[in-house]
Amino acid sequence: MSLFKLFQKNTKNVINHYNNLQITAISSRKLSILPSIYDGEQDPGPKFFSSGVQALLKRLTRPDFAKVFRKRTNSNLSVLRTPKYKFLTDEELKAEMSKANQTAARLLQMPPVVKVHEPINEVLSKDPALVGYDTSKYLFTDITFGVPNEHRLIVERNPDGTLQNCDHDTRKRLNQIYFPMQGRKVREPIMFADEEKFNGLLEAEKYEYILDRACIQYEPDEPNYQKITSITYQHVDMKTNFNLLRSTRHFGPLVFYLTWHQSMDNLMLELLQSGIVREAVLLMGLRHAIHEDITNADEVNVLVPQILPTPVQLTKPETLSEEDIQMDNKCVDCIAKYITNNSAMKSQQELALQGFREDYQQLVDLSRGLKKAHGNA
Amino acid sequence: MSLKLFSLRHLFKKPICVTSNQTTLYQNNVVSNLTNFSTSSIACVNFFNKLPAEKLWKSVTSVSNAGAKKGRGKGAGRIRIRDLNRGQVIGVGKINMLWPGLSAPVIRGRELLKQQRLPDDPERMEKLIKLRDSMTKFRRLKLSPIERGWSGARMPGRSIGPPDPIGDDEFTGFDTKVLQLRSLLIMKGTLGRTRNYQAMVVTGNGQGLAGFGFGKAKEATAALRKAKNRAGKKLMHFDIYNGHTIFHDFFTAFGKSKIFVQKKNEGYGLCCHRAIKEICQAIGIKDLRAKVEGSNNLQHIVKAFFIGLLQQRTHQQLAEEKKLHLVEYKAENEYYPTVVASPSVVRTKEEIPKDETLDFIQYVMNDKVILKRKKFPRFYETMPHYDIFLKKFERYRNHEKIRLNLKVEYGEVKSFLNDKYPEEKVESEA
Repeated sequence: MSLFKLFQKNTKNVINHYNNLQITAISSRKLSILPSIYDGEQDPGPKFFSSGVQALLKRLTRPDFAKVFRKRTNSNLSVLRTPKYKFLTDEELKAEMSKANQTAARLLQMPPVVKVHEPINEVLSKDPALVGYDTSKYLFTDITFGVPNEHRLIVERNPDGTLQNCDHDTRKRLNQIYFPMQGRKVREPIMFADEEKFNGLLEAEKYEYILDRACIQYEPDEPNYQKITSITYQHVDMKTNFNLLRSTRHFGPLVFYLTWHQSMDNLMLELLQSGIVREAVLLMGLRHAIHEDITNADEVNVLVPQILPTPVQLTKPETLSEEDIQMDNKCVDCIAKYITNNSAMKSQQELALQGFREDYQQLVDLSRGLKKAHGNA
Repeated sequence: MSLKLFSLRHLFKKPICVTSNQTTLYQNNVVSNLTNFSTSSIACVNFFNKLPAEKLWKSVTSVSNAGAKKGRGKGAGRIRIRDLNRGQVIGVGKINMLWPGLSAPVIRGRELLKQQRLPDDPERMEKLIKLRDSMTKFRRLKLSPIERGWSGARMPGRSIGPPDPIGDDEFTGFDTKVLQLRSLLIMKGTLGRTRNYQAMVVTGNGQGLAGFGFGKAKEATAALRKAKNRAGKKLMHFDIYNGHTIFHDFFTAFGKSKIFVQKKNEGYGLCCHRAIKEICQAIGIKDLRAKVEGSNNLQHIVKAFFIGLLQQRTHQQLAEEKKLHLVEYKAENEYYPTVVASPSVVRTKEEIPKDETLDFIQYVMNDKVILKRKKFPRFYETMPHYDIFLKKFERYRNHEKIRLNLKVEYGEVKSFLNDKYPEEKVESEA
């Protein structure tokens, strides 16, 4: 056991100061994005972690290996290294590729989406005999090796003699002091604490940087984490900058957030405008899995398992096979129904779908003509 | 030598004295009407006013043929020819006179100028002597740092522009660098030992085309020109991997010169012999390491390097030779296996013999292994003071990081106790 003594007045001052700062900062925000956190009745955890939703989110991330394995400057390399070369047979290459897939899965592992934690108010004992024993409170931390941080025993003895479990803030600070996590700071970094700096980052569209740093600094069930991520997601949605987060681990939570808060129609519109109808159907499937408010749910539920095994569309296809055409037509029908019944941006989405239909018809004619010309029809 | 000069100056002054004496004599004669008539002759002519300046200077500065061969009359102690007319103007002399029409206008304003004597300028002679002295100093040719070569104002390493156009074909984008310029002595039947210049240059456009050439001539400039134009006629094309480096490590040799060349990552730079660096820049290679071993003969190094570059195999060739996929791993890409070349037919594991070299570097080096010398500790690391330094420094090792962090958090370096016990602010100079 180790003893950590803090001056009570000091801590109180600091905490008050912090709270004031945040409140004033939020009210003076220029963008006027109101953060919405997962603090309602429903817990998003079980839905997010269910295998169906995970598969949908992973597929919607549209992993492009060129971006997943792009040159990173944060891998502790002060200078670049000379590349290494190997001669490989087919089997060895396959094994290496499967290893790379595992690495990609690790790089794309999504930060969990969970409900905000409850405050801890557990009084262990009240000892009136100890009232006024000291002017400051005592904190006790169990620093036994191998105990996970969230189960660590951290208690405080107040000057009025109460012994109680510490709140999350204190717990986090003490855990960071005794078992420092690389990259995490004891105090909140200025980029999160100072609203002007945070807004500057948002304006510069450094979403991935913000989200990566938030993952290190906060626990997923902290209200601060959810506020920051929520503002970032809303900013991405507002500016339709979805492509900046595609192929990163943050795209899944982004889609989940938008769908959870019933504001995924902007993303749907972006998907239709870029002509990726299959992902639009998957997005409908996600909405149904979370809210179950899609009218043509049966159709979607049939289509989703058919779409999932097909390869990810990174570029526009040049020719189409008959099965592709059949599936895409089904998707388009399905989306048309969604637009009429559930969409909040009907006219825009209809226009986008119409544009897609025309482009697609040309492509279909071209590939059928080519097939005929080659004599395979 | 300075004594000689001094006597020269002394002699040079004399004729003026002689003539002035003469005039006074003449005037005296006129005035006194031949009272001091003398029959003894006065020599008014000597070699100073008989010979031209050129010949006079030659008598002082010339070096015998044998002496010149030994290198006499060169370098810092050499006597230089001085132009004594420099700084002198017709009409301006020792006696400061105003000559209208010669050193001054005839009419100034509405006044007609008259010939008159002005006050003497005492600094005139000093200025002239200073000007003459400045001509004797040995001045080294100064070059701007951009034009400079490997060493001083010497030619090696300097750029001499693109080769001359052949017909209508111009060498646009080419630049030539001198690698070597040296004088050779050759024997001739009639002339005996004569001097010849030999130049070696490399020319290239920085985009894969480059060539080197030799030129010999009586003059250095002619040798350089010949070499440059020959290099332009012997261009070779080299593939550059990803626009920055070679395809693989290789070993190459010419004569006793051996070079070990290594492929390097982007941003590594050219870490090699200066001649190899110039060649790489001419070709357009940006990153490479080369170690020269054995003879330092520059011509051999250049030839060896070019041969090595030409003998490189592209990744596709390597894959075809091995009948295996060639895969690249980069640390900055999380070691993602990128297939850079695939053969038409790939062998299976059973088809590969047991003793075949599969290691890439070993294969491209033709099973040659570079001897890596053991790294010895630095001389100070075994000394007791280094231990003391390490012990003393240990407590400061993180201070830099902490200072930075404090500056980020508080805007200045201060203690955590500062909130409760603030430091007294020192009044700025009132």
